[in-house]
Amino acid sequence: MRPENYQAVNHPPSNEYELNFGPNHPGIEGNYALKVKLQGDTVVEARADAGYLHRGFEKLMEDRLWIQNISLVPRICVPDPVPMEVCYSLAVEELAGLELPERAQWLRVLQLELSRIAAHLFYFGGHAATTGMYTPMYWGVADRDLLLDLFEELTGGRVYSIYNMPGGVRQDIPRGFLQRLSDTLDYIEGRLKDYDNLFFTNQIFVKRAKGIGIISQEQALEWSVTGPNLRACGLEFDVRRDDPYLIYDQLKFDIPTEHGGDAWARTLVRRLEMVESISIIRQVIKALPDIKGPVRTPIPNPLAWRVPAGDSYARVESSKGELAYYVVSNGGDKPYRVHIRGPSAMHAVQVLEKLAVGCRVEDVAQTMFSLDACPPEVDR
Amino acid sequence: MSNTDLSNIEVNQKPVAKRSNPFANVFNELVSFCRSRSMFMLHYCTGCGAIELPPAMTSRFDMERLGIQPMVTPRQADILLITGYVSIKTLKRVILTYEQMGAPKYVIGICSCTVNGGMYWQSYATAKKLDEYIPVDLYIAGCMPRPEAVIEGLQQLMAKIKTDEANSWKKYYEHYDYYLGNQQHLFGNNWQTPTDIIGEAKTYQLEGPNTLGEHTKILESVQRPLEPLEMKL
Ligand code: SF4
Repeated sequence: MRPENYQAVNHPPSNEYELNFGPNHPGIEGNYALKVKLQGDTVVEARADAGYLHRGFEKLMEDRLWIQNISLVPRICVPDPVPMEVCYSLAVEELAGLELPERAQWLRVLQLELSRIAAHLFYFGGHAATTGMYTPMYWGVADRDLLLDLFEELTGGRVYSIYNMPGGVRQDIPRGFLQRLSDTLDYIEGRLKDYDNLFFTNQIFVKRAKGIGIISQEQALEWSVTGPNLRACGLEFDVRRDDPYLIYDQLKFDIPTEHGGDAWARTLVRRLEMVESISIIRQVIKALPDIKGPVRTPIPNPLAWRVPAGDSYARVESSKGELAYYVVSNGGDKPYRVHIRGPSAMHAVQVLEKLAVGCRVEDVAQTMFSLDACPPEVDR
Repeated sequence: MSNTDLSNIEVNQKPVAKRSNPFANVFNELVSFCRSRSMFMLHYCTGCGAIELPPAMTSRFDMERLGIQPMVTPRQADILLITGYVSIKTLKRVILTYEQMGAPKYVIGICSCTVNGGMYWQSYATAKKLDEYIPVDLYIAGCMPRPEAVIEGLQQLMAKIKTDEANSWKKYYEHYDYYLGNQQHLFGNNWQTPTDIIGEAKTYQLEGPNTLGEHTKILESVQRPLEPLEMKL
């Protein structure tokens, strides 16, 4: 890490060269690029090159009905799509004054936490691969698939579930689902020990990841780092607890923090979060059978649904950080304006550019993965 | 768009000349068989479909049992997987990557977005039909296709390669004018890539009546040698 006021030399010395890192590169998460300047194998300057996945989401959403947008939003962040749906639905519900049935709230929490576990499994698989360890990747992705099977059973879709909608969720859980869910959770919890041996406490990984990409707490707040990356700097902040939405205030869970602020701490926080998510889902499984009632508040004819004019802001804690939607309606059947505050846009551009400086070239990929940024959400 | 429509132009399917030497025939078949059984795949994660590739590649569905492995450089890869929508910025890189791959090369378009624009049919930032810019051998439709579908698609491609039907790369040489025209329409008339497709077509003797045309004339008039660092897209 260079100090904030570090100034690169203006005239390039002869031993400096430019390297394009991505967009089609195995060390890059998805379609994203970094242009790095190297001296020897030390990075002296890094520029993020985003925009490969730009689709113009915020514009597209102005062109579709309120209900149609539900199928569009999960595409914003592919590895962790559920928070996108939930957050958009929350914003629209607030705008339309819809009452959310209690059972739907519990079901949403169930999905959110499942999605968080799936995203974390996927994340550290990728992170392990950047340090040359491929087994955790193979295992992580295969275990994530078990969760995708549950999603498929619950919602019909493996990755994009499109299960939430303004007013609640589409349908109730299938029979026997909770049993299968808790079996899978037991399996995953048992696997965590193996992952510890294989990856989290493995010296190959620990030695590579310790001291890489350190963020101090002040820097983190200044750069609007959120989510697990912020908690890895020692600040205990979680939207689920500090600004509770849905029924998170009725649940018991810890907020794991670490103090290093480096790649290792960020991985560890996610590892601990998986345990918390499993315990949250267990609480949901226990409580769900006693909560009766509908899962959806009916909305008027969805094809001609006019949402009253106004604006609303909803935020949730996604697996990558704080995610928020700002939705404006002018009383029409389509949103007037939607703005998405995604966590990755900060992590992958302004934070990564600073963290990469001073890294050795082989650690750039690791730094990027440890921030768990999601390129489609950067570009939108 | 250039006004010729390629959908009804067929590739000039010269049947593999049956040589009088029976050993040569056997040899050709053997080559096709081996080719279909060991493919290196370059997957360019252009869109959300890429998320179903790790499951397809790793322990659960395991693509490697079909002899397919990911490869990191285009020059050594056989298959180019385009996994989802291609934004215009990405499309330039896709074309560049495609042209660098050595023949025979195969293109698979995964996801509905590569077929007709999919969800983003009215987006200002994406290219709708991949087929207008590079020839595609096989589409795997779905939003997004499941890993089983991806593997099924790859098996179909293997079958096509075995019988010498996956010839889209020849189409690129034979109808280069059409593809170049569409590329120029999107990127402007200054568009050029470091690969000399016309020269390659001549070397491979794949020059067809549509290799040269009005668009390649434009290319010739703007073409100049690129400096190594100038290939800034
Ligand atoms: S077809 Fe669907 S999953 Fe595939 S790239 Fe398009 S939107 Fe994404």
